[in-house]
Amino acid sequence: MTTRMEALGALLETARGSRPQSLANRETEEVLNITLATLIELAVANEKIDRLERMVADLRGETVESLRDVVYDGAIAEERQEATEALLIRALRILLDPRTRREQEQHL
Amino acid sequence: MKVRDVLHAVLPQTTAEERSRQGAVISLRRLLNAKVRPHNMESYEAEGLPAFLKAHGRAPQSADEVQKAFFLSPAYRQWSAANRAAQEMIWVSVGEPVYRDLDRMKEAAADLINSPSRRGSLTLSPDYTPSPEVADTDIHLQPGGFAMDRGEGDIVAGALYECGGNVFSFGQGAGKGDSKAGATIRLLDERFDGFRPGKMLDIGCSAGAASAAYAYEWPDTQVHAIDIGAGMLRYAHARAESLGVAVHFHQMDASDMRFPDNSFDLVVSHNMLHEIGEEKRRAMFREALRVVRPGGIVLHQDVAIRNAPTLVHEVERSWDADFNDEPHWRTYATANLVEDMLAAGFARDSIMEHDLDSVQNLNRWYAVSGRKAA
Repeated sequence: MTTRMEALGALLETARGSRPQSLANRETEEVLNITLATLIELAVANEKIDRLERMVADLRGETVESLRDVVYDGAIAEERQEATEALLIRALRILLDPRTRREQEQHL
Repeated sequence: MKVRDVLHAVLPQTTAEERSRQGAVISLRRLLNAKVRPHNMESYEAEGLPAFLKAHGRAPQSADEVQKAFFLSPAYRQWSAANRAAQEMIWVSVGEPVYRDLDRMKEAAADLINSPSRRGSLTLSPDYTPSPEVADTDIHLQPGGFAMDRGEGDIVAGALYECGGNVFSFGQGAGKGDSKAGATIRLLDERFDGFRPGKMLDIGCSAGAASAAYAYEWPDTQVHAIDIGAGMLRYAHARAESLGVAVHFHQMDASDMRFPDNSFDLVVSHNMLHEIGEEKRRAMFREALRVVRPGGIVLHQDVAIRNAPTLVHEVERSWDADFNDEPHWRTYATANLVEDMLAAGFARDSIMEHDLDSVQNLNRWYAVSGRKAA
């Protein structure tokens, strides 16, 4: 039984040739690659959620549209909003890092 | 017969997650091809060319300088970086299921290859060293390249080629019904009075998609196919057997074939011209003429990147040469193939160039054909 890690390892080991870069520096190009790969994984996760929604709707005997149309308010809505804001902070951490701002202030 | 997305026993059995990943890569590539790449010429005019003029005080004078000017455009650089990343993700999306399911696939291939009821055949040449100009490059970034052979029973090169080719082609906008063999058969109907061969050869058959399609469409035709790598050919043979069609695969170099003179009624190659250099291409043209019978037809089909209207268009189309490990892309795009066919020995009035419709999308193909004097 070959694991997914082993399969990916076997694939990566066989690649040959140089890797020309298009962007002005290597770090930027690598970040772009990681971002695009993450985008693909997000699409994979979205499809998985979609499949589950359809299965749950089927089990509940309702349409997938009505399942998705649930609106939460009150405490649940606040909890979701807080979770979304936390996700944004995690994703945009680099823009919010106070050290960057302090360094900029020192140059002013 | 469909050649893309056909189901057979040697394909990896993918999970829903793996299929989603391949679908996402197809969508990304479609978006880049349909919405971003078409703006490359504007990026050149608006950003690249002005930056080059400012730096050098003159316009670019050569293909190399035009390419330098392209890379002075931030928008072009972003497209180029994203396109390279997307091409690499093709191989990740298909390579994981291939290596994960490889033991089962190899077993399925061995059963088909050794089956007493097999219809075609496989002739490997262990003494042959695959041509380095193809074997030593990971053409269109396929890890390990077309000629990778990891030992007895290995089929990885063929599996990667077919699965990666599907993701690539769907990302280019190809339909599931697209077929280079289908486009060729239609050309034979329209321009060669419905010519049908009793025996034919497919040069550079890779995973055997076109070879199997010919065998399916023309069950009375004896179909032979050659390529350079054992891993590719084992897969192609098992694939054809699984689809129930008879193809005779041989490990052989296109520039030095082992078939006797006048062996075939029809000799074709599909998307091979852009994978080989000038010398090999000319030798292959000579060999194709040698092995086709008098009155027989030779037809080489490839991508429609030739006859670019300007040098700037030509350089834009040549991105693959430097960023997709297609070293002969530009050589093919600018070659005088009619002169090469003449030099191979075809009569001038037998040589035709063709602008072919795809079977099921808006893409086009190029082909050059010649007929051996009767």
